[in-house]
Amino acid sequence: MDLADLTRDLDALRLRALAAVAAAPDTATLEAIEVDVLGKKGELTSVLRGIGALPPDDRPRVGAVANTVRGAIEAALADRRSGLASSELAARLERERLDVTTPGRPLRHGSLHPSIQAMAEIAGIFEQFGFVVHESQEIEDDLTNFQMLNIPPDHPARDLWDTLYVDVPGHLLRTHTSPGQIRVMQAMRPPIRALLPGRCFRYESVDASHGFEFFQVEGLMVDEGTTLADLKGLLDQFAQAMFGTGKKTRFRPGYYPFTEPSVAFDVECLVCGGPGCPACGRSGWMTILGAGMVHPVVLQYGGLDPERYQGFAFGMGPERISMLKHGISDLRLFMDNDLRFLDQFR
Amino acid sequence: MRVPLSWLAEFVDIELAPEALAERLTLLGMEVRSVERRGAEWRNVVVGELLTVARHPRADRLSLTTVTTGSGAPLEIVCGATNIAPGQRVPVALPGAVLPGNRRIERTEKMGVVSNGMLCSGDELQLTGDGEGILILPADTPLGVPLADLFGDVVLDVDVKPNRGDALSIVGLAREVAAITGTGLRQPLLDVVESGAPVGDRLAVTVHDAVLCPRFVGRWVGGVRVGPSPDAIQMRLLAAGVRPISNVVDASNYVMLELGKPIHTFDAGAVEGGRLVVRLARAGERLQTLDHVERDLDQDTLLIADARGPLAIAGVMGGAASEVSDATIDVIVESAIFDPVSIRRTAFRYALRSEASLRFEKGQETRLARLGADRAARLLADWAGGTVAPGRVDTAPQEPDPARVAFRPARAGRLLGLALGVDEQAALLRRVGIEVEVPAPDVPTVAIPVAAGTKPLSAACPAVDALVALVPTWRRDLLVEADIIEELARVNGYDRIPTTLPATPMPPFRPTPLAVRDHVRGTLAGLAPAAAGETPGEGDPIWVTNPLSADHALLRQNLVGGLVEVIVANRRRGREDAAIFEVGKGYGRLADDAREWWRLGIALAGAFDPPAWNRERRAADLDDMKGIVEALAGALGLPRPRFATLATEPMLHPGRAATVLVGGDADGPALSGAIGEVHPALAGEWDERSRGALVAELSIRGLAAGSLPVPRGLTPARHPEVDRDIAIVVTAERPAGEIEAVIRDHAGPLLRDVRLFDVYRGVPLAASERSLAFRLTFGDPDRTLNEAEVETAMAAVTSAATAAGGRIRS
Repeated sequence: MDLADLTRDLDALRLRALAAVAAAPDTATLEAIEVDVLGKKGELTSVLRGIGALPPDDRPRVGAVANTVRGAIEAALADRRSGLASSELAARLERERLDVTTPGRPLRHGSLHPSIQAMAEIAGIFEQFGFVVHESQEIEDDLTNFQMLNIPPDHPARDLWDTLYVDVPGHLLRTHTSPGQIRVMQAMRPPIRALLPGRCFRYESVDASHGFEFFQVEGLMVDEGTTLADLKGLLDQFAQAMFGTGKKTRFRPGYYPFTEPSVAFDVECLVCGGPGCPACGRSGWMTILGAGMVHPVVLQYGGLDPERYQGFAFGMGPERISMLKHGISDLRLFMDNDLRFLDQFR
Repeated sequence: MRVPLSWLAEFVDIELAPEALAERLTLLGMEVRSVERRGAEWRNVVVGELLTVARHPRADRLSLTTVTTGSGAPLEIVCGATNIAPGQRVPVALPGAVLPGNRRIERTEKMGVVSNGMLCSGDELQLTGDGEGILILPADTPLGVPLADLFGDVVLDVDVKPNRGDALSIVGLAREVAAITGTGLRQPLLDVVESGAPVGDRLAVTVHDAVLCPRFVGRWVGGVRVGPSPDAIQMRLLAAGVRPISNVVDASNYVMLELGKPIHTFDAGAVEGGRLVVRLARAGERLQTLDHVERDLDQDTLLIADARGPLAIAGVMGGAASEVSDATIDVIVESAIFDPVSIRRTAFRYALRSEASLRFEKGQETRLARLGADRAARLLADWAGGTVAPGRVDTAPQEPDPARVAFRPARAGRLLGLALGVDEQAALLRRVGIEVEVPAPDVPTVAIPVAAGTKPLSAACPAVDALVALVPTWRRDLLVEADIIEELARVNGYDRIPTTLPATPMPPFRPTPLAVRDHVRGTLAGLAPAAAGETPGEGDPIWVTNPLSADHALLRQNLVGGLVEVIVANRRRGREDAAIFEVGKGYGRLADDAREWWRLGIALAGAFDPPAWNRERRAADLDDMKGIVEALAGALGLPRPRFATLATEPMLHPGRAATVLVGGDADGPALSGAIGEVHPALAGEWDERSRGALVAELSIRGLAAGSLPVPRGLTPARHPEVDRDIAIVVTAERPAGEIEAVIRDHAGPLLRDVRLFDVYRGVPLAASERSLAFRLTFGDPDRTLNEAEVETAMAAVTSAATAAGGRIRS
């Protein structure tokens, strides 16, 4: 074998390899070609094995030719490889294509009952004004539920609270959260700003606006200089926070044996905004709570001197607040636990 | 209370439009619930005059009339009534008219004759109670005028609060209107023409108990002709919501509505010797009341009686035997004051609460006894042609002076947050009939009534700082200073109370008792759809002694019962899948001590993972419930719950129930309770829809009032942890929890966690066996473990598991 033969073999190798590279269908074939041609045991190596038979002067020339051939093949491999990689990527992306318009895998999350939500919202508003939650018992004694609230036995005002009694002597199911006023005053010293949420019970048949079991949120503020004007201001702020700023409110006389003066608090009709509609009984107003200045008899039963301390109390039904806010027409929906209804309050 | 404005206007001038008046009354505390226009429903009903009345050619019972309405040709109208005659003025419903009850009047043919409308009875117009004859109008009623212009009225429905019995009357509400308008009041006509023998010759009254009957005024009206009341009176009573009965009964109802004074009338002929006695019932006495029910009287019942026995239950209901009837000639008028509590108890006992008893219950000023008797006597004379015997029988003629309630004008400002001058205050009070005096100059201090009732209190005040309110006798609700202050605020207008925010000291911080409850709720709501919701209770159950229904007789001791009912109700509505919880109270008693406790109840039913196009439906199972309990424990900063077999709870499937126990200390566990599947027998016996439901009832420390633990923010370990797996073959019924406990107890201090990751049954294991595969994680925050110490720990686990009856599967 002489220089010419070797050079020819190298050139043939080059042509074959370039043809194979050009024809390679995928990168795996390119890998195989690379090993077969340029690898340690590849064709180029085996061609060059013949170099030892050449005269020493010719060897560098063959080496130069071989490097040229290697360079050409490597360049062709790299070129072909990048071409193949992009088409393979394109093919892969095509294979992995999804119908992105299908719905997702459903996740579940629950919700709190609208009564609970309303109570939390009410508490949140009053907490901003320094009120703290203070709970009280549901099985109350007659003394605290009525008599200490200035409602003696056989008082006509007892008609306002039809009562469920229990077989624990002297006890009943509290008809309102107001007995909590007594318990707060007995437990805390002024300044008092307390919020009393909780369940109440009445002997009433269930209809669209009455239930025998319902929630109430009571508020109590007692100090040396707390006035009716403060009550008006605070309730006005509450209405803005609960129903939206700019809502008109109205303060008018009400009646509760445990407050004097007593107050009924109205907000402008959330349906018609004032002119009057069936929802507000054509009055343009919706009553949202009752309130008043704590009666001196009640302050005394709470252990406070009415000559020194004065304050106000208010009580509202979170269900009623929720009904007004969400346009719910029937109180029974709050008790039915119909999940189709509850699912709306997520 | 229904208030016809025409009636109100007899006592006070009303310039305001009805809606404006309604709003002003509401703002004065007399809430007007509705404004009703009577007559608004009469369209095309006008006054006509009968020109001719002739027999209908083809029907004996019908008349053929011609009627003029003042203009146009006379109308031929067929009429079935018999009380008509030419010249009478009558209401004519023209074709196109609409009567109450949406009854439309059209031109019709009656037995071959065309009728161009209808002549109306009082009942058809809901004007009077008479449905027999045509309503005959006064002869001077103008022709052709729409009836609504003549007899229409506006009726206010006023919600009178329980403390204002005085306002349960037309006169009382007229006083309120006068406070609004500042105009004067007219009084009802009380003067009576008297003749004949004095009342003392006819009537005697003895009161045995002056506490139960502080005053009894009687009058005697002879020679009455019982019959219908004048049409105008019937119209008025109907507008006020009271059905006319007869002139005598109507007179007593009229006085009750007008003055607020219930009146009772007796047929004098049925009263033995004209002698009435007011006394308590005696043992064994009975009375047939007006509703024709024979009643056994108990001995707390106050009676009006004669020598023969009971005639009436005082203030509540009369007796049938002495009832005024068509045959009555002479009438005894009773206008009495009774003890409010006694009347209230009696009315409740016999379930006979009425408009009359309601007024007695609220308490009445004794003056009303005289006013009511005179007014009733006058009306009986006017309407029934009676002759009133001179004088009254009166057991307590002395009438009280106004009560004196001292108050501090400065206190009004302090309570209301509104500065009102002394003269201004006096002027405001005068508008509701309260005169104001300054205290006598010779007294240095005045006692201010601060509180009354069961906790009276009075405060001494320098006379110069006080005023005295002279409270009219009818205002029995004004007892203490705060009542006078409310009156000031009310008359001045609550809208003039300033709007301020409290400028008083803030109370110190107090932690909310709701922290744990709110966090539990929030966590569970994040896990599954929630709703508003039993482990055995503590102590004995509490019963409601007057339940609304047998279903509600027992106070719940646990929550899950209610939750399962919610699931059943939802399934009845077609909602199969439910995941609900309640944080609520259970109730019980220990001796005479009532107990309340907070619980968490959870219930799952149907699919836990609802099916989707990319997912199979997966039914909720006990593992889901355990997962929820584990997640909850995690959210509360508690260690992983331990579940143990619970086969003894009768409501739960004995093979699918467990107790739950988490953490705790000497005070008890941090979280405990039971979980399980509803017992299949229960589904069979109670409701099939409860089948397969999963429930949990948990006690959680802090649910009543507690704070949440603050998580520690530890730096994650820098040194790698080492996992080792071990599969232990045990008999199939051996609880995995037990084996896990063995591992925990023997793996040594380097063990960080143990988790069951596989359970296997089948070849090559024996049929009675299963393999539990656990992954144990070892680590040390300060260093990398070496192989030898992990192997030592695993060897200890292996020998303990073997000693516990397990076989290591390699």
